[in-house]
Amino acid sequence: MTPRLVLSQIEKSFGPLRVLHGVTLTVAPGEVHGLLGENGAGKSTLLNILSGVFRADAGQIEIDGQSRTILSPRDASDAGIAMIHQELQQVPELTVAQNMFLGASLRHAGGLFVNRKAQEAEARRLLAPIDPMIDVTAPIRTLRVAQRQIVEIAKALRAKARIIAMDEPTSSLTPKEFERLVEVIQGLQARGVSIIYVSHKLDEVYRVCQTATILRDGHLVGRVDLPQAQVATVIERMVGRELAHGTHHGYVRDTVVLQTRGLTRAKAVIDATLTLRQGEVLCIAGLVGSGRTELLRLIAGVDAADSGEVLVDGQIIAGGDPRRRIRAGLGLLPEERKRDGIIRHRPVTTNIALPAMHRFSRFGIIRHATLKARVEELMRDVQLRPLDVSRPIGSFSGGNQQKAIIGRWLAADTRIFLFDEPTRGIDVGAKAEIYALIERLAEEGRSVLVVSSELPEVIRLADRVLVMREGRIAAELGSGEITEENIARHAIPAA
Amino acid sequence: MTAQTRPAFLARIRFRDAGTLLGLVLIAVVFSALTPVFLTTPNLMNILQQSSINACIALGMTLVIISGGIDLSVGPVAALSAVLGAAMMVAGVPVPLAVLAALAVGAGCGGFNGVLIAWGGLQPFIVTLGGLSLFRAFALIYTGGTPIFGIPDGFRALTNGTVAGVPNPVLIVVVLALVAWVILNHTPLGEYMMAVGGNEEAARISGVPVRLTKLAAYMISGLMASVAAMILIGRLGAAEPTLGTLWELDAIAAAAIGGASLMGGRGSIMGTLIGCVILGALRNGLTLMNVQAFYQLLATGIIIIVAMLIDRATSGKQGG
Repeated sequence: MTPRLVLSQIEKSFGPLRVLHGVTLTVAPGEVHGLLGENGAGKSTLLNILSGVFRADAGQIEIDGQSRTILSPRDASDAGIAMIHQELQQVPELTVAQNMFLGASLRHAGGLFVNRKAQEAEARRLLAPIDPMIDVTAPIRTLRVAQRQIVEIAKALRAKARIIAMDEPTSSLTPKEFERLVEVIQGLQARGVSIIYVSHKLDEVYRVCQTATILRDGHLVGRVDLPQAQVATVIERMVGRELAHGTHHGYVRDTVVLQTRGLTRAKAVIDATLTLRQGEVLCIAGLVGSGRTELLRLIAGVDAADSGEVLVDGQIIAGGDPRRRIRAGLGLLPEERKRDGIIRHRPVTTNIALPAMHRFSRFGIIRHATLKARVEELMRDVQLRPLDVSRPIGSFSGGNQQKAIIGRWLAADTRIFLFDEPTRGIDVGAKAEIYALIERLAEEGRSVLVVSSELPEVIRLADRVLVMREGRIAAELGSGEITEENIARHAIPAA
Repeated sequence: MTAQTRPAFLARIRFRDAGTLLGLVLIAVVFSALTPVFLTTPNLMNILQQSSINACIALGMTLVIISGGIDLSVGPVAALSAVLGAAMMVAGVPVPLAVLAALAVGAGCGGFNGVLIAWGGLQPFIVTLGGLSLFRAFALIYTGGTPIFGIPDGFRALTNGTVAGVPNPVLIVVVLALVAWVILNHTPLGEYMMAVGGNEEAARISGVPVRLTKLAAYMISGLMASVAAMILIGRLGAAEPTLGTLWELDAIAAAAIGGASLMGGRGSIMGTLIGCVILGALRNGLTLMNVQAFYQLLATGIIIIVAMLIDRATSGKQGG
């Protein structure tokens, strides 16, 4: 039988960074095919190429035996490909029907006016077999995520999609809603629609998929039939080594430097209580959406908590304004460096000086020479390359930007560093340098909280691990207990 | 992206400012060819004097724009300061006190804007648009719509006098520009303004006092508006509640021509001053050539668009 979809030898690079090395993917008609891999393995890039957002540098795409050129989302849609993103691409204030016909509205009066009635009728017709309870005239933001996903699926069906790619479809669903989604997927299969299912939740993948492709660092490392394939083998292929067990030689001292008590913010973080000791590296693991970033932002004072306290050296420090926590010795290194971490067009010097301006000014005037000298000293220490502190910080690589941000907090005499995904988007060489810097911070008697999705990174760095699940701290792992299995076991919600 | 390497002394002059200066030189060359009177000292002084009011407003506007905002209320703030200051002077209040009070009114109006924007979280465009109507209304209500005459001669001598042939308003602008330049380039506040306008969230996470920075920018803008008002009432000898109409547009134009990005984070005092002089020189030159006022408006519009196109074309070449 002709495969529904064949992606063969797909190559993609972004500048000097090669993200896909000759990846091949085959999906049969009416099959649900899993796409597995760690963060950064290339899954999103592959899907983006399939849906026309990116163009592959090399490789072919064949649909139902015919070669297709996909250079734009329009081409993908014409080829029968639909993509349901993790972040649903919908306009919150428009109705369900309007969202379904976004960009392709039904018109009357010779194309002048939008035919709302016809759109609503058609929307109801498309949703009837999947979920007839959805009110097509309601603004889509009033729907639960599960229902919004169903609207996306119906939209894909309307576009006569024969291949639907779902990216982390269940990160916001309850177990019951997941069951409903499984029914919907099975219904699609019966109609001959093929589905590519991307998810970190292996138990779900095993439940829903017949086959799976495994990527690692942009390479194809396996194609397996489910449920025959052993979970342990699949994980090993994803991760590239025997499951790691680590012991960390730390610099932990007895003094407690940071405590949180019952920190809560909406449904994102619920009742988070933790302690951090001097010289300790505490890692916070968990799935995307488990509340780790939100917890870090609460601790840093960037977001205000609904309830709970943060204590530094035993003193409660009020939140709501990052400056209070910064004065108390905390510093946040955000996950999205470009968006939240740097002022791109400003030089390294001023980016670094921001929290500690008063140390570099006298009588209200900045002492530029002193500032430059201190920044150069710090940047030499963290090995910024090239060592040109007057250059705009945006012109440095991700790894160097991160080193500069570390330098910023060093300049402010920060004692508690809050890293959110410290090596995201950073190449292997710079990664090692960042790890060395984190260890040095601990050795110097500073304390570090690290949120990370990369299990090897967690195992490499952590004295202790907290695993978050659905907003709560679900488990604490001490030395000897820090293994990938333990972390994964506590991180995955019961499906 | 490569850094630009230039000889050390040239490195101090911003690339963008050099471009703006070139534009000014071009305009000067063109007009001096078309009207022999253009390049004479009295006329050049004239240009500077006529640009001085816009320059005051534009200096404050530049800081506001750099910090990521906009101030549409500057004209009415000037009007309100003018009428209150004038009323005091006419009522016999010592001139220095009256001037101080007028400046306080300007800073106060700016503070009003600043608090709503920084603590209220309201959009600068909308707040200052509302302020525009509010302050204009206060000025009109207070004066009943009629101008206040009788500005004391002593005060007028200050604003209409010259020092070594340079009109006083021009000197005032030079001093204020120097202060603004120091603030922007050599104080934490200036650094904070560029950070807040460049990336507000990153600035906040890095410990920048975002709200106070914004408040400062709007208060300075209000203050500059009242300085401009004082210069104008000195020149005219009267304070009209309707003065200042469309002042914000000329100020924004000057800042934009001078390289300030309306998205925030970028701009220079030097650039804004050159932008003011470009606008002033343009109007002066066209007037000398007896070109109708309508065409002057056309020329202003064209200059602004050309400056923005040049900005766009060259922005890819700079780093960051």
